[in-house]
Amino acid sequence: MEYKVTEEDKNATYVVLPAYNEATRIQPVIEEIAEKGYNMVIVNDGSSDNTLDVIKQSKKKYPGQIHIFSLMINRGVGVATQTGFEAVLRYNPKYVVSMDSDGQHSADDLDAVITPLVTGEAKAVIGVRPLKDMPRSRNYANAIMNFFTKLFYRVDVSDSQTGFRAITSDALDKISINARGYLISSEFIREINDNNIPFAEVPIKTIYTPETQAKGTNVKVAFQILLQMIRHQF
Amino acid sequence: MFLYALIVPIISIIAIIWFIGRYLNNKNSLSTVVLWSIFWIFVSLFAIFPEFSNSFARIFGITRGLDFVIILVFVVLFYTILKLYFVIDKMQNNLNKVVKEVALNNEITLDDEEE
Repeated sequence: MEYKVTEEDKNATYVVLPAYNEATRIQPVIEEIAEKGYNMVIVNDGSSDNTLDVIKQSKKKYPGQIHIFSLMINRGVGVATQTGFEAVLRYNPKYVVSMDSDGQHSADDLDAVITPLVTGEAKAVIGVRPLKDMPRSRNYANAIMNFFTKLFYRVDVSDSQTGFRAITSDALDKISINARGYLISSEFIREINDNNIPFAEVPIKTIYTPETQAKGTNVKVAFQILLQMIRHQF
Repeated sequence: MFLYALIVPIISIIAIIWFIGRYLNNKNSLSTVVLWSIFWIFVSLFAIFPEFSNSFARIFGITRGLDFVIILVFVVLFYTILKLYFVIDKMQNNLNKVVKEVALNNEITLDDEEE
């Protein structure tokens, strides 16, 4: 029988949202997550627009569910997510989720992503985007990065570049994330594999818009990640 | 005697004195001073006695002294760039730590706005 996530599970879950220049997109994302009953740690990554003000507006609506941290200067999605992972442990969560704040991930998938953690089937989950939904350039870049993740980190996954991931707080304590940029996705997978943390893949919806496509793993970013992977071998 | 045979040794002496000064102020390690002093001594020798580079080139199986000097310059430049890359990388990591620490110690509350 399919497990139904309870209010108690949701209260024990914190969603980490790294945000860089998302003033026009982040509000519906935050409010949708809050409406579903999840808590959030939002990290403003030194945005030059009014992302921080927008986040504060949302906090006024859901004061108990939102915690805000702000990096003085832009340091990349990796550092913002690391900050969120460190901050979230203060609130004693059982489950920690990280997802993109640009609206490409759907809050509807949160229940499905944390279910394997709640049922004990896995201690880490990666949300896998359907290949058919991906734009072609993103599809190629992702296939290449999956190959390199397998080559350098010896982990075979369907989507190595997903930003939608979940982990139990015990497992989060064991892993060490140092990536500054988009390498964080592959590094997360490497860390759960190296620490023998059982993980599951859960299919997720992805909403691609011209704005969301401008960010994330394109061929240029894939090349940068490759260089960082090579560097990490030494 | 060519002008460069005079200028290059002067630059070399200034460079070596500069490295020694940095070492005395604890800004360089001794190995850095020794390494760069050797480099500048060789540069001076090549400038004063150009044929000196030929004998060195032969040791490494290179026919012309000038080729040897060019290769040597490339090696030194590559080493310098690599070293700079590591220095910048370390600085980036330190900067990340500071920025993260400041953010973690300053959770933003709605009270901040009201003040």
